[in-house]
Amino acid sequence: MNPAEQVIRQKFQQYYLDPKRQLDPPPNPSEREYGFLLFNGKFMVRHRSFKDPTSLLTAVRDLVPSHVYFSTAYYREPTAPMEQKGWIGADLVFDIDADHLNTPCKPDHDNWKCKACGTTGNGGAPKLCPKCKNDRMEEQTWLCDRCLQEAKEETAKLLEMLYTDLGIDHEDTKLFFSGHRGYHVHIHSKQTSKLGEEERREIADYLLAQGLDPQLHELEETSVGGTKVAEGPLIGQPGWRGRIVAGIYDILGSEIDQIGLTSNQVSALKSWDREDLLRKPFWSSVKGVGMSTWKTLVSKAVEKKSAKIDSVVTTDIHRLIRMPGTLNGHTGLLAMKVPEERLDEFDPFTEPLAFQGEMKVKVKESPGFRLGEEHFGPYRDEVVGLPSAAAMLLLCKHRAEPVA
Amino acid sequence: MRSPSPARLTEPNLMLTRADLAKYPFLNEASDYIKELGISIDDIASPDFSPVLERAEKRLEEALSKGRVSNEFQNENAEILSFPVSNLILSLTGEERAQRRFALAEAKRAYELLRQESPEKLDYIARTTFSWKLKKIDAQPGKKFYDFAISLADYLRNSIHLKEPKWKLPNRILDHGLVYATREELARLLEEEVRTRIVDRSGRLPGEVPKLLQPKVERTRGLITKWLGTPSHYELPKVPAPEAMPPCVRNLIDNLAEGKNVQHMGRFTLASFLVNIGAGEEEIVKTFKPASDFSERMTRYQVEHIAGKRGGRTKYTCPMCTTLKTHGVCYKPDEICSTIRNPLSYYKTKARILTGKGPKREPS
Repeated sequence: MNPAEQVIRQKFQQYYLDPKRQLDPPPNPSEREYGFLLFNGKFMVRHRSFKDPTSLLTAVRDLVPSHVYFSTAYYREPTAPMEQKGWIGADLVFDIDADHLNTPCKPDHDNWKCKACGTTGNGGAPKLCPKCKNDRMEEQTWLCDRCLQEAKEETAKLLEMLYTDLGIDHEDTKLFFSGHRGYHVHIHSKQTSKLGEEERREIADYLLAQGLDPQLHELEETSVGGTKVAEGPLIGQPGWRGRIVAGIYDILGSEIDQIGLTSNQVSALKSWDREDLLRKPFWSSVKGVGMSTWKTLVSKAVEKKSAKIDSVVTTDIHRLIRMPGTLNGHTGLLAMKVPEERLDEFDPFTEPLAFQGEMKVKVKESPGFRLGEEHFGPYRDEVVGLPSAAAMLLLCKHRAEPVA
Repeated sequence: MRSPSPARLTEPNLMLTRADLAKYPFLNEASDYIKELGISIDDIASPDFSPVLERAEKRLEEALSKGRVSNEFQNENAEILSFPVSNLILSLTGEERAQRRFALAEAKRAYELLRQESPEKLDYIARTTFSWKLKKIDAQPGKKFYDFAISLADYLRNSIHLKEPKWKLPNRILDHGLVYATREELARLLEEEVRTRIVDRSGRLPGEVPKLLQPKVERTRGLITKWLGTPSHYELPKVPAPEAMPPCVRNLIDNLAEGKNVQHMGRFTLASFLVNIGAGEEEIVKTFKPASDFSERMTRYQVEHIAGKRGGRTKYTCPMCTTLKTHGVCYKPDEICSTIRNPLSYYKTKARILTGKGPKREPS
């Protein structure tokens, strides 16, 4: 353990030892596998099971892990080796993380370095190094208001689709802040617990609109009395059909100049009253706007309305996922439940703060950030006295070292 | 054989007639009907039973030779009773691939009949035998007319086997947990359900098997060899054939050879693929040698793990193509790729083409 990890672990221990502390384990807790990532050499203790929240809390106090996980799956024997656990079912889970979003602020606070050739760059890491085509990247990320706001908006879209399209019950749905750059949604329901990987992939694809073919939603060119006419879905139709039209309505109201249409197409669309979209049928009624323009609009609408979930998390039916009520070792922030009606007002930079008091740290380099009402930084090579939550964030993000 | 009493059948059930049971002998009601007739497996020796045995053998022969089963509705009882007998004979051969082929043929036959049924009857069959949750609707949101809204789980369980883009969930109308479907589409989804049901039920054997069936079993074994080839043709070629490898696996090998880094999923795919086509451990370890971070000890350990010689003792199979697509391992899919769902199937198919051996598959 390096000095920073020692300090972080000590603080985590204090936090967990507080007699008021309680954990919020998942439904059917004794059928889950639990996993703990330890500070000591990044060692993972897994295949554990606990009968009740008390014994789980005892283990957390004992081990003081940097991350605490439980399995989305329920098993007959959660402690058996993977192949013998006896899968019973699994929660349907969704992960929305700024890692998967293309926020414009990323170049300001994220950077990457290719592990093979040392090339560096600002912003989110590319899939392959532009220079040597290697795919192993070292990434330094940061949490910012903008990124988390976008993650929140994606989460709101996700929830809307889960309820109105997938028919998921509000009561089966729980929403959590991950303690880092995003939100998790867990669905614990008989209707979805037995779904296999392939079925879950279909659901992920639905939410991402992956493989959506507008023609199969009846966007097509027909001929009426010799003139070509575009026809498509209508507002108010269920599922993606109505959503596509709603998306086009939004785009026409805001970013019509920015989606790569020619100036003629843009002016034709601008001179048209988009309220026509809310009347039926509307598709044929725009002069100078042909099928290819509609197709562009549809694909932009789909992109705008889809929820940017990480499909790997949703399709993995044996996944370990962060336990709410525990500290996230990447930040020192609390992973916590967010009542859905409060998603809008939830402030990820205020409510999940877990540490009181002050600490002194030597910051190597850090972007500016906000915690609660206070703004900090940017810092570069300086020793600063900070509220513990801010100091812990810098330590956990490898931006600072402790000062003795 | 006692004479059946259609009255008992029709009384409690206004939806299905005996003719329906002849069309759909896999239904719960068909099993109940056989029970009501008081027939057991020992009756098979009775001379009354010979039309049933004949029809049972014909079902098998047609399924194995053509992948289709014809309809013979003149003798409804023979039609109903022959189905479980075919299943029993097939189970006694212990040939899974023949069971799968029979299930597919019976399911196709059912589909052709189901698509002509009334929405009411389809709704009834889906609900009772297959426990689907569905709603009869009457909706025309665009040009198409939809008769049904099927619960998401029932839809997905069957649609994942269907490859046409129209079955992909993002291309469906999904409304409060229900997927819209036309009558024709419902029949197609039921075909999948029928197929799964027959496969799941095959292999269940009664305690004692009448001697009379033994020659039928032998004859069926002969048919299987004739139409499906000897089992070894269907198994993976014994000697790994590099030219039969799918594009993704070749790409992984090439990347490693060039010293490019290959991600975890790629490595796992390659190792599990090689293990499953019967490559030796030494050979597999050698394939990974050019990797920039090669560790012989680690590689050997992992290969042994995948081969089931360590840890949970499970031999891992190769990930499915859908998974490989998600993880960006899928590479330049070719024509064969569009017919398979797992790199191992590609290898089987390609090897068969290269060697010119084995039966040709019917396009499905």
